[in-house]
Amino acid sequence: MVERVLLLCLLLIGFWGVVAKKNIIKKIFGLNILNAAAVMLFILEGNRIGTEAPILESGLAQVVDPIPQALMLTAIVIGVCVTALALALAVHLYQITGSFDIDTIRERVKDEA
Amino acid sequence: MGKRKAWGTILQASLAIGAMGAVLLPIFLCQTPWPTVARDYLVEHGQHESGAINLVSAIYLGYRAFDTLGETIVLLVAVIGTMGLLSRVESMVNAVGDDDNTIQTVSAFSLRGEKRSSHVLRTHLLEVVTGKIGPIVLLFGFYVMLYGHLSPGGGFQGGVIIASGIVFLALGNQQDNTSALSKSSILGGIESVSFLLFIIVAISGIFFGKGFFGNPLADSAYPVGFIVLLNSIIGLKVGASIGFMCIAMMGGHD
Amino acid sequence: MRPEDIVFATVMLPLLGASLAFCAKILPKGRIAGVVEYAGALVGLGLPPLVLILLFPVVFSGQSVSGVVGQWFVGVGITFRFDALAWLVNMLGYTIGAAAWVYSLGAGPKGPAFTGVFLIQTAALSATIMTTDLFNLFVCLEIMGITSYVLIPTSRKPGATLASFSYLMVSASAMVFFLLGTYGFYRLTGALSYEGISSGLQAISSSDTMLSIVSLALLVSAIAIRVAVMPLYGWLPDAHALAPHAVSAVLSGVLIKTPLFALSRILYLFPFGMEVGELMGIAGGLTAIVGVVIALSQEDAKRLLAYHSISQIGYVVAAWGMAISLGVDTPAGTSLMVAAFLHAFYHALFKGLLFLSVGTTVDMAKERNVYVLRDGIGKLRDAGEKIPVTFIGFVVGALAISAIPPLNGFVSKTAITYAMKGSLSYYLLSMAAVGTVASFIKLSRIYWPTRKRGSLHLETGVSLGTGSNPQSKAHGLVARLTAQSALAVLCIAGGLAAPHILTIVGTLLSRGGTNSAVPPTLYSTDNLLKTGATTLGGILLFFIATSKIGSRVLHTIRNRPRSFQGLFVSFSLGTAFLVAFLVVGKFL
Repeated sequence: MVERVLLLCLLLIGFWGVVAKKNIIKKIFGLNILNAAAVMLFILEGNRIGTEAPILESGLAQVVDPIPQALMLTAIVIGVCVTALALALAVHLYQITGSFDIDTIRERVKDEA
Repeated sequence: MGKRKAWGTILQASLAIGAMGAVLLPIFLCQTPWPTVARDYLVEHGQHESGAINLVSAIYLGYRAFDTLGETIVLLVAVIGTMGLLSRVESMVNAVGDDDNTIQTVSAFSLRGEKRSSHVLRTHLLEVVTGKIGPIVLLFGFYVMLYGHLSPGGGFQGGVIIASGIVFLALGNQQDNTSALSKSSILGGIESVSFLLFIIVAISGIFFGKGFFGNPLADSAYPVGFIVLLNSIIGLKVGASIGFMCIAMMGGHD
Repeated sequence: MRPEDIVFATVMLPLLGASLAFCAKILPKGRIAGVVEYAGALVGLGLPPLVLILLFPVVFSGQSVSGVVGQWFVGVGITFRFDALAWLVNMLGYTIGAAAWVYSLGAGPKGPAFTGVFLIQTAALSATIMTTDLFNLFVCLEIMGITSYVLIPTSRKPGATLASFSYLMVSASAMVFFLLGTYGFYRLTGALSYEGISSGLQAISSSDTMLSIVSLALLVSAIAIRVAVMPLYGWLPDAHALAPHAVSAVLSGVLIKTPLFALSRILYLFPFGMEVGELMGIAGGLTAIVGVVIALSQEDAKRLLAYHSISQIGYVVAAWGMAISLGVDTPAGTSLMVAAFLHAFYHALFKGLLFLSVGTTVDMAKERNVYVLRDGIGKLRDAGEKIPVTFIGFVVGALAISAIPPLNGFVSKTAITYAMKGSLSYYLLSMAAVGTVASFIKLSRIYWPTRKRGSLHLETGVSLGTGSNPQSKAHGLVARLTAQSALAVLCIAGGLAAPHILTIVGTLLSRGGTNSAVPPTLYSTDNLLKTGATTLGGILLFFIATSKIGSRVLHTIRNRPRSFQGLFVSFSLGTAFLVAFLVVGKFL
């Protein structure tokens, strides 16, 4: 129970970072925290029905649910890819406008376009 | 005015966080016991059907390999997009003619009279250590990649280790004579070809009557061969893409 | 070869084409690389329509091809379903995709990397509509998303990079919530396939109902971001207006509709699907009218079109939502679904045509402002167009979107309003139609001849390096004109052959003929009178809008405050509202 409440807090901190922070790099950090919280929740809860890793070395042990782990593997890789692209976009925006602040970027882009 | 605006921002953000937090409460507080149907099925039949002891590998390269294809596509597109954007950034820097960006430095670590055009952080210490570790890391990466069906690991994990090996080799290049593995043309080639191979393997099941993404070796003595093959292809592809991207972000791409 | 093997050709052929294009990228530049790239495009965009034709008899007889990818166990593997809906959406995607790619040959962006990413996007569309697995849907949506984030900034405008960044942030955050929704359903039922989940949801205890409501709301709002329904449309205008023209055509023609039809598969099966449909139908009606009002106020030609995409998707969502809330097995629901799909398809055709023709004109004139740009035909003639194909394309598209009789827009809009007569959305959509006419009269001014030599100030500071504008006259002219004339012909043909198309789509979507759709009577006096009244109202509205008070109001609307944060605030509040609506409907 406590750990799940903490995960909710983590998720909301990440969401706060995305919504309220002005610096676009911090926004990207926030997105990663958000993603990590969702992944951790999935893995944590999936591990409640067993004690062993899902590798069948010693017969039919009480293994955890392998599906969340396989799904989260995909979700993590996708998260990393999106982050890489977001960082590249941020670098490009910095090159165009000379700022990492979202409001300044908006203004300068509007001036140019 | 500025202060008022800042308060408005915080108020709006709090509203958003509050709404989302309230919505998410049932998701995080749910006490329902976790379902065991799929786990029980996999423990009983998973090893027999896919040949892999590692059930996670069995799922993401067997039962749900189509997701994995999507995942590699996302990686591929992200790499292409990142490279496109970064190369544009570089061309802009060059167009401005801003020579200060490349630091022609004489750092404390360089030998007397040595000409270095590389970055200030590239020291002899770093070059020697990473140059020696690089091959070992590569070897470990191939181990993780090839034994993914038996132990924790697999194509993605192994691929990322291979990528760090490539980055080490690129960092350890003394005097900037880049080794073949850190050349973007070669890494790009490995990436494109392994993507093509992945698709061919995915289609191959059709010709063995197993359907799209079916295991063509399902009836043979070694059904696990399919997973090993996919692990190797994915490992090469991920290693090449991420290594490529890291080298580009370090500013070493041509 | 069984049909199960063939249906995945619609996904795999574009991917194969994309991998060929990427191989062309590593080949030394030259003739061989070019041949390999074009071969890839041919494999990816040319062969799938043939496969679809091959599959037509299967879906036309009311059957559907479904199963598990790779014949694995159904409880773990990925299930898919290729039915009439998937066939129709595939057809839509490949028609627009092929036209847009041909156009991009003439007007850029070019190169094997663009072709490859473009083909991957097409494959993702096809996979999205076929899958019936929640996590696979997540992956497909992410592929669609990441290809758009990459394709939008290829126009090399600073604003496009910012638009792509905003879209990335809001849609990537929404996808995390989608993942949490998936978690909720997996936790309740232990299944990921739609059918497994819906049968598992029959047996849950009442204390878990709340979790299922929240999970559904998270899925729906994450998809609604992609569809750009009413409160969640903020990312769309910049992205669509600043992307390269070919990409704009695909983004607003296909990309915002595919998730909608994929969502209908979920809502058919899950509990509370009907209520969600009801709410989204109303949101769609509001979207239609708000979108058109903002569109009328715009001065950037492409941005005006982008807001029209929002407005028109509002039509589709209104009909779609009402179809789901009525139940798709009823005749009324089926007719609404037919109308919704038909409008989605026809909108893709005429909006693609408009984006390409207006895009060409503003490129040639180097001016995007509707109030400044005049004599578009002259500009096009200077650029080497002997017959003003682009202008004709614009006229066809503008008449179609304004629902003038023989064209396709008239057919689909009439079908929608016919099927929903008397409801709230009916009045909203009728008002939106008036606004559409007015704003296209406004847009058509870019082709009016000049009275005096207008000040021609160039776009400043926009083109970085080599822009996408073709500079030489004849360069790429053939490719651009081919794409535009093909779409124009399809628009006209879609209007003329309307009765046949309505019958075919009706048969396809009525799931085996038990609940056949009611084909609307198109050319009744009633409908023609309504069209006439709408057109007159539109002309009147245009004059009001150009008057002094009108233009001041529009100026206020145009300069309304818009912020990056607003996207997230509207997303959170929209999701909370959806949950509240479902909870109130359930417990009160």
